[in-house]
Amino acid sequence: MNATAAVSGQLENLLGKLLHYGTLAASAIIALGLALSVAAGALGMGVATAGIALFILLPALRVAVMLVFFLRARDYRYGAIAALVLLIISISFFVGTRQA
Amino acid sequence: MPIGLELWLFGVALGTSMLGGVLGMASGIFIVPVLTMFGRVDIHTAIGASLVSVIACSCGSAAPFLKERLTNIRLAILLETATTSGALCGVFLAGLIPTHYLYLLFAVILLLSAQQMLARRKDPEGSSSIQRLPLGMTLMYGAGLISALLGIGSGVLKIPAMDTALRLPIKVSSATSNFMIGVTAAASAAAYFARGEIVTSVAAPIALGSVAGAVLGAHILMNVPNEKLRLMFIGILGLLAAQMLLAAFGINLIGPRS
Repeated sequence: MNATAAVSGQLENLLGKLLHYGTLAASAIIALGLALSVAAGALGMGVATAGIALFILLPALRVAVMLVFFLRARDYRYGAIAALVLLIISISFFVGTRQA
Repeated sequence: MPIGLELWLFGVALGTSMLGGVLGMASGIFIVPVLTMFGRVDIHTAIGASLVSVIACSCGSAAPFLKERLTNIRLAILLETATTSGALCGVFLAGLIPTHYLYLLFAVILLLSAQQMLARRKDPEGSSSIQRLPLGMTLMYGAGLISALLGIGSGVLKIPAMDTALRLPIKVSSATSNFMIGVTAAASAAAYFARGEIVTSVAAPIALGSVAGAVLGAHILMNVPNEKLRLMFIGILGLLAAQMLLAAFGINLIGPRS
């Protein structure tokens, strides 16, 4: 039980860092894009769109990190749960591309 | 794109995200009504921008809760199977529901939120072990569905699921709910993004303002008792509900007529 607690503490730190730096990166890209759009219009909007894409990707990355972590800890039950969540997000994306 | 409109969108997101973050609610519940009522933004564009904002808020405010060990990440990933399934279902339904029903549904969710605020949340009695998981999962599925349809975090359904069905302490359920909201919103935002329904000129300033607000809001949550903001929230929610209800019937009292 103690070993499990220590392992989840590690995972929490990892996820905290991923979400924190991911948010900073996505925000910086969006800010850069908006600043560029004032000067260069469409190019700036393209950069801002990439920042938005990174934001949408970030929670999926968080689930992927959890998946890898659970598998490495041989916690296959939670590994399967994380894989299922990742699968549902992927299905949603592909449904969207087919409807575009 | 006029810079004035971008600044206005940024300001709206900053303010609503701070308000929302303080009580662990996503700011989408304020963003969609404000954008449609005051900004004359199309409701589908508002919903797409709001989903990005919901993700940004959730990601931007997660780190402090994780550090404090308030987030139950295993419970979160388990419940996310239900919220993302609901979101996927919402993605299919979103295109089929007429706009005035969306306004009506939004008014109902706002009123439910106000009622929930009025009732006050209490830490559940006795043990904090997880009970009644099937009921919790069902409510989470509904939360995901509503999140995809309205572009909100669906705290209004997640909170009763956490408090009543799962009996977690308030701080744990707020942190866990906030953590889950990002993945739930990403599940529907991924489809909207792929469809080209997320408008960058609206979503970008909203996302940026939300991050700034969420970071500030998370710091306030640690220090300010929930009680102080309750009444203000109830008032705002009631006003927005009334306006969304009017909009559902095609009446708009604020801003230029469409």
